[in-house]
Amino acid sequence: MELSLLFQTLITGLAIGGIYSLMAVGYSLVFSILNFSNFAYGGVIMLASFAGYYAMTLLGANVFVALIISMAAMAVVSLATERVAYSPLRKRNAPPMFFMISAMGLSIFIENLVYATIGAHFYAYPIIFEETTINIFGAALGKMDLFAIVFSIIAIAIMNYFINKTRTGIAIRAASYDSTVATLNGVNLSVVIGLVFVIAGAFAGISGMFLGIKYMAYPNMGWITNKAYIAAVIGGLGSLPGAIYGGVILGIVEAFVSVYITSTYRDVFSFAILIIILLIRPAGLFGKYLEEKV
Amino acid sequence: MLKVNDINVFYGRIQALRDVSFEVPDNKTVSLVGANGAGKSTLMMTLAGVLKSKTGSIEINGEALAKDANHVLGQGMALVPERRRLYANLTVYENLLMGAHLRKDKDGIRSDIKKMEEMFPILGERKKQYAGTLSGGEQQMLAIARGLMGRPKILLMDEPSLGLAPIVIQQVFDIIGELKKQGMTILLAEQNAFKALEISDYAFVLETGKITLQGTGKELLQDERVQQAYLGVKAK
Repeated sequence: MELSLLFQTLITGLAIGGIYSLMAVGYSLVFSILNFSNFAYGGVIMLASFAGYYAMTLLGANVFVALIISMAAMAVVSLATERVAYSPLRKRNAPPMFFMISAMGLSIFIENLVYATIGAHFYAYPIIFEETTINIFGAALGKMDLFAIVFSIIAIAIMNYFINKTRTGIAIRAASYDSTVATLNGVNLSVVIGLVFVIAGAFAGISGMFLGIKYMAYPNMGWITNKAYIAAVIGGLGSLPGAIYGGVILGIVEAFVSVYITSTYRDVFSFAILIIILLIRPAGLFGKYLEEKV
Repeated sequence: MLKVNDINVFYGRIQALRDVSFEVPDNKTVSLVGANGAGKSTLMMTLAGVLKSKTGSIEINGEALAKDANHVLGQGMALVPERRRLYANLTVYENLLMGAHLRKDKDGIRSDIKKMEEMFPILGERKKQYAGTLSGGEQQMLAIARGLMGRPKILLMDEPSLGLAPIVIQQVFDIIGELKKQGMTILLAEQNAFKALEISDYAFVLETGKITLQGTGKELLQDERVQQAYLGVKAK
């Protein structure tokens, strides 16, 4: 086995794994507080890829500015989805199933909105780095991959600090465990849930744009969030460390399967891992809740 | 002062509370005694703003109870809920911090956490441990401490002795006694009628959603009906 190829594959895997992690965190955050799988998240990620594309082509923004624009725009879009599609259900104490159906409807709406307005074409991002690779130890590493890895790590580190160390972050975790008691402690649920959607949206802004750069922007690219969903389930739905590690594991496995076996089997392996993990640890790798003692 | 006037609470069509009225005067301990399903927890959840009454009024120090449950603590009333309901995914320290969620005075919060650690030494030792890993008794201490972190004037306690060993139950009631001495206004819902009546200035018996008896703690301890139904004394 050639060492440089191994290294190259690892970096590619980490890059895509970082993107999966961001998406999985977005899923998990919403799941942990509202207890349903937000299938409209794929739509938001797709919109992000277009937001980044237009920021770079129409506004002529560089990749950093485009990322910020995409993050800000998707934070707003994500919050809007909550206020329009979920908040009314929440106020009526609807069961999680209703949320999921609402999410599916929203997902179809967003996708078709893009078909109807922008069209069904594939849009390639402008060139970001003149030279696409950089040579380290004889391995040709994609600059964009390295950039994605660094940016994903920074974003996840900031989110991690916020969720674990700030009082608002603690309130989010508290509300995700018991929203009624959090309310008794004075937590405004509507604000906390809104905030969760803003964070998930900002993360979609990053992951969607990186996906757009890698695979182009197109209206039904939301399917790729299936991978994020797999990552979140592997890690344990609702668990943030689980989402992060699940994404990285999935990204690396996919990269290695693509390079050393064949890319045709990539998705077979992804789903196989999902099934195996669910058989061995049904709650996922980190989906362990400490039961309350009676 | 907590004033409850003629409240009726329903779960769908089922009525859980019927024309309930009572008062908890300042610095007094009042207990609600009743069997399982009598409506004690429903009453507590209504006072905390989670459930709504169809009729009547609830006043805290002359002010109407806030419509949204997240504003009730700000009015000076905290609930220590039934079965503790701690955040098992948070540490002991973070649970305490959540109790003070509305407060902005960082120094005050820090000194209150110290106070809690003095009052409940076990919490100081277990500060970084997840609340879900504590024993039942420790969890109850933490639940009370979390309630106190909001600096309430009125403390509602729902079944604080539930599921605890006798020695721990004694500790819990010692703490309630201590809080009472410090001037806390307490409303206590308990199945452990004997202990509750002993410590209370005044008490009510709740049966199928209605207040059927009331009096001072001592009076109810002497009452034959209470003795038979709740204190395990056989009829002569």
